[in-house]
Amino acid sequence: MLARNAGPAPRALAAKRLCPAMAAGLLASGWAAIVWFGLIPWSLFGTPVPWTKMVYASALAAAAGWWVARLSRPAASVVHPRSVVIAVVLAMAAIGLVSWLSEPADRRLAALLGHSWLSCPPSVLVLSLPALAAALWAVQGLAPTRPRMAGFAAGLLAGSVGAIGYSLSCPEASAAFVAVWYSLGIVLTGVAGAILGSRVLRW
Amino acid sequence: MPFDANSGDLESALKPLWLRAQSGDEVAYRQCLGMLATRLRGYLRRRLAGVPDEVEDLVQETLLALHLQRGTYDPSLSVSAWAVAIARHKLVDLWRRRGRRDDLHDALDDVDEQLLVAEPDDGGAKRDLAVLLKGLPEAQRQAIVLTKLEGLSVAEAALRAGASESAIKVQVHRGLKRLAALVRRSGSDDAFVDRQPT
Repeated sequence: MLARNAGPAPRALAAKRLCPAMAAGLLASGWAAIVWFGLIPWSLFGTPVPWTKMVYASALAAAAGWWVARLSRPAASVVHPRSVVIAVVLAMAAIGLVSWLSEPADRRLAALLGHSWLSCPPSVLVLSLPALAAALWAVQGLAPTRPRMAGFAAGLLAGSVGAIGYSLSCPEASAAFVAVWYSLGIVLTGVAGAILGSRVLRW
Repeated sequence: MPFDANSGDLESALKPLWLRAQSGDEVAYRQCLGMLATRLRGYLRRRLAGVPDEVEDLVQETLLALHLQRGTYDPSLSVSAWAVAIARHKLVDLWRRRGRRDDLHDALDDVDEQLLVAEPDDGGAKRDLAVLLKGLPEAQRQAIVLTKLEGLSVAEAALRAGASESAIKVQVHRGLKRLAALVRRSGSDDAFVDRQPT
């Protein structure tokens, strides 16, 4: 009988699995960013350059983490966390748009593309892979009843963590750049998570 | 949620018990699992009408998942909605698995199904038939059982019953007529309403 010696149910299970997984993912992506791409000059840490990205990615990671935790819990409502995720992305888009419009017209293209628009999204994706594996592991041990959606949310979470790591070695200064290319990299990781999720997240 | 029309009753009975079970009360937990098993069996049986053999397996699988995943239950959720979400997940998983397997083994499965078809045990219909047959005279009942239920030919039935072929034919004809009359009457005066819901 299942009830025998069952003991009390474990508490805060999602947080217990997701938090260490994301801590490990963050360490891995930060370490990989420094080793592969090198750290940005120390002087930049006195400017908003890395901090814009970190605040954006951390906010998105928190929202996506909440969303994943809800998706890992059968029958729980996901309306609020999903709205918050969308709100964070839209807020960054709005900030990016304002800063982009405040640039003089002849510098707008440069502000949008920076030096590394082509390499930024794939770099975020690659740096997110350890976090993605950890996030999928964490969610797999919970109870996601919508595997593809849960995989997508786990991918957004992992992508945000990877973006925090990448912000250690990305010298781009424009908010528009962050709003477009970081978001793209994070969404790419989300798509990878969705593809993997429908296969891996079975229980 | 898609349990039953009276799932509100289930929920109000289940929730306090479940909360006690979550904090480690074994007796309450056992009661909860019992209640949930009954409801889940009904829920899954309605959805697995084509494959009744899978129902019990899936009930057990769902209960096991409920047990393993009870850490994902949150007091803000409805226990029955949470349980149904898990049962539905297991149901979808089963369909996906079967679908894939059936695709892979198309030809073999067709053969298997013809050779080893599992007769669904329709206890209700058998019982009704037995009750109806009791309302017939012995000769008519025997003739119907031999020809219609055991599937013998009229000649074989005549041999078994020790009667002539035409006698068998007459008894079958009269018996069926009488059965039809019995069914019509029982339909109108509800002689069978005590039948258990299946």
